[in-house]
Amino acid sequence: MTTAQHDHVGPQPYPEHYEPPHGPRWRLFFGPGLGRALWMTPLFFSLGMFLVVGLRWWWGWPPAFDWTVIVAIGGMVAAPVGFLTGIGAFDYWLHYISGRPTRPEDHSGHGATSWKDYFRVNTDHKVIGIQYLVTTFFFFTVGGFMAMLFRAELARPGLQFLDSQSFNGLVSVHATLMIFLFIIPAFAGIANFVVPLMLGAPDMAFPRLNALSYWLLPIAGVMFLASFVAPGGAFGAGWTGYAPLSVDGPVGNIFFNMGVQWAGASSVMTALNFLVTIITMRAPGMTFWRMPLLVWANFTTSLLVVIATPFIAGSQFFVFFDRVLHTSFFTPDGGGYVLGYQHIFWFYSHPAVYIMMLPGFGIVSEVISTMARKPIFGYRLMALSLIGILVLGFSVWAHHMFVAGMANWLRVPMMITTLLIAVPTGIKIFSWIATLWRGRIHLTTPMLFALGFVTMFTIGGLSGIYLGAVPIDIHASDTYFIVAHIHYVLFGGSVFTIFAGIYYWFPKMTGRMYDERLGKAHFWLTFVSFNATFFPMHYLGLRGMNRRVFDYPAAFGGLNFFITIASFVLGASVVVFFYNMIMSWARGPIAEGNPWRSHTLEWQVSSPPPIFNFDEIPQVVGGPYEYGVPGARHAVLAPAREVEEVPV
Amino acid sequence: MTSHAEAAAHHHGPPIANQSSRVDARVLGMLLFIASETMLFGSFFTVYFFVRVANPDAPSTWPPPPYHFPVFVAGVNTAILVTSSFTMHWALQSIKRGNRPAFLAGMTLTFLMGLAFLLTQLVEYLHVGFNTSSGAFASVFFGLTGLHGAHVFVGLTLLGMVLVRGFRGHFSPQHHHGVELPGIYWHFVDVMWIVVYSAVYLL
Repeated sequence: MTTAQHDHVGPQPYPEHYEPPHGPRWRLFFGPGLGRALWMTPLFFSLGMFLVVGLRWWWGWPPAFDWTVIVAIGGMVAAPVGFLTGIGAFDYWLHYISGRPTRPEDHSGHGATSWKDYFRVNTDHKVIGIQYLVTTFFFFTVGGFMAMLFRAELARPGLQFLDSQSFNGLVSVHATLMIFLFIIPAFAGIANFVVPLMLGAPDMAFPRLNALSYWLLPIAGVMFLASFVAPGGAFGAGWTGYAPLSVDGPVGNIFFNMGVQWAGASSVMTALNFLVTIITMRAPGMTFWRMPLLVWANFTTSLLVVIATPFIAGSQFFVFFDRVLHTSFFTPDGGGYVLGYQHIFWFYSHPAVYIMMLPGFGIVSEVISTMARKPIFGYRLMALSLIGILVLGFSVWAHHMFVAGMANWLRVPMMITTLLIAVPTGIKIFSWIATLWRGRIHLTTPMLFALGFVTMFTIGGLSGIYLGAVPIDIHASDTYFIVAHIHYVLFGGSVFTIFAGIYYWFPKMTGRMYDERLGKAHFWLTFVSFNATFFPMHYLGLRGMNRRVFDYPAAFGGLNFFITIASFVLGASVVVFFYNMIMSWARGPIAEGNPWRSHTLEWQVSSPPPIFNFDEIPQVVGGPYEYGVPGARHAVLAPAREVEEVPV
Repeated sequence: MTSHAEAAAHHHGPPIANQSSRVDARVLGMLLFIASETMLFGSFFTVYFFVRVANPDAPSTWPPPPYHFPVFVAGVNTAILVTSSFTMHWALQSIKRGNRPAFLAGMTLTFLMGLAFLLTQLVEYLHVGFNTSSGAFASVFFGLTGLHGAHVFVGLTLLGMVLVRGFRGHFSPQHHHGVELPGIYWHFVDVMWIVVYSAVYLL
């Protein structure tokens, strides 16, 4: 563990004006960066391969060249470690642990002066935030294309141009990318940029750990995508990867098992970093009850991540061992317990839906309060309801298993706790509506997305209450009703809040303003096509159309064709978003420091923020949302210093 | 606001962050990491519970005959690991008081005992008489002891790094976080072993 401050006395730092002893070409291949990663990744793969082959040969286990094991150890453990070593994620620590001099923190890893700095290990939380967001939107696009591909297949009954295995692979990788490479890390990206600013902190608590946790993410994404080239195709057991199907299925499943480990490690590290930052680095006067709700949301989310994520790591390890080490955790022949997989998996994956939702609640609270020019209604209750969801979220996992053949007595308690979660969630919905009540509402793009979220998430929440009730769940289980529900919650819920957050903080992140007209066009296009795509699925599901099928009765043909067309419009709406973002980032009008006249701290500095956020740590004197309260202030900042006064 | 940005460009280094908690950031980070690790062990104990208790075909004796767990050897190993926690504590207290020889002796002893534990476990694996494909009880046995062994390995790496830096004279009564944090981790590995040993071998 290292922090920005380092206090060890032993190693002598390099001289003040450190000059690397080698030329630029040497540095390209041996200095930290993508050039060094280019040869270290295959080197580490070979090391892993020789380890596997050597040990198998030594023990006399035929065949020595077992490609499943070689790919698992060489490709999914050693090669990523080589990549991370190559780009220099471990450089500081390797120097530190061997007792050699560490490079002094000359802040060269801070800030970005050109686009190339985004392809380096950078310890600036603002750079990391943007790295996260760009990466996640890349995988969002890839996952979206997959969805359009299998929607095209579903336009008509019968097989068109996909075979069943590639259909299953597309559906599974679509879901996996959207969950592990888009929604969860996109929230981490927004929070990375915003939370230290909101707290009045110069950076995160562990900047190097922060950089490492970002670079784990593309590894996971590449691993999921690489499963398409595995013999037998991509993992096709769904993003839930139920055993024993995922144990006996094609070898692509181990790409899922191991990719989840990298994505999970990334989110645990980020969450740990957020928790330590929020607990130890708040500005003076920033008590817990003065923190903006986005900070509260990320505090609770991070607790969920730290506590729950190890369970999916465990579940995927067991599946991986069942295949590679021939254990029988979930193999009934050897005395394994098949249903155990679902219990362990959902013990993570139900809290995970709150990991994908709570940061969005935080974003929406910021946007609605600022744009309605009113203090958030029931601030403390809003924070406490987050804690309520956190606690209850751990007690509901088996509602995913009502038809799985688990013990009958478990059903009713799980139904009751599930329905109870509607209470803290309902508090939040009503608080947002009460905040809007008699507010001076500015219908900007982030506000439109926030309002879209409140309505769509309410629909998703209501269908969730249906599904939480055992009798309805038994009827609707494994149908398109579930598909509709999850997309109302995750697209109409999480993705809308991500869009709201991106538009809201776009001027802060880039220093430029997005095009409001294009933003509104994007919203309405998304809102209408989203409903056209997913609302008919409720009906299809209740009429009995199964989910995860590539073929269906001809009677459902018309509606499915309509859904496919709508899904293409939904895909096209994202083009508007990308056009707006790229053009505005390149040559949009220069944004002022505080275009929304918000009170929270990130808006009190310039856009984009100075390299260390604040000249001096601000003093917090009041709550974050005192809009329209005469004389209320959230924080007092030291006046900006004149250039002449600063010693050069 | 632009003068602000220009000022920052000339400003060397970040402002000192406010310390809003009495807990040290690094200690808190380590404790949260340990909380996460505990949950990882929790998932392995869950699968142990499923295989041994919840499963309708759970074996009536543990381990199912004809297999045996080397309870005595593992017991000796437990004693070694528990002792190493005390030497770790001794080393930390010594460096806090500025007693470098005692610190180095304590760290060396801790490292050697940890190594002895890991090697003993390796030998135990070779002579235990079954392998990972011998059934669910073996999966649980190798899963829990193997997960713990991996943690001992990580702990030993951290201790090794303390040793290297210790012999180079990098620690002092004022600066011993580099000893304290691996120490916390080592105590965690130790306590976890007592739970694993009780669950797998004794119960």
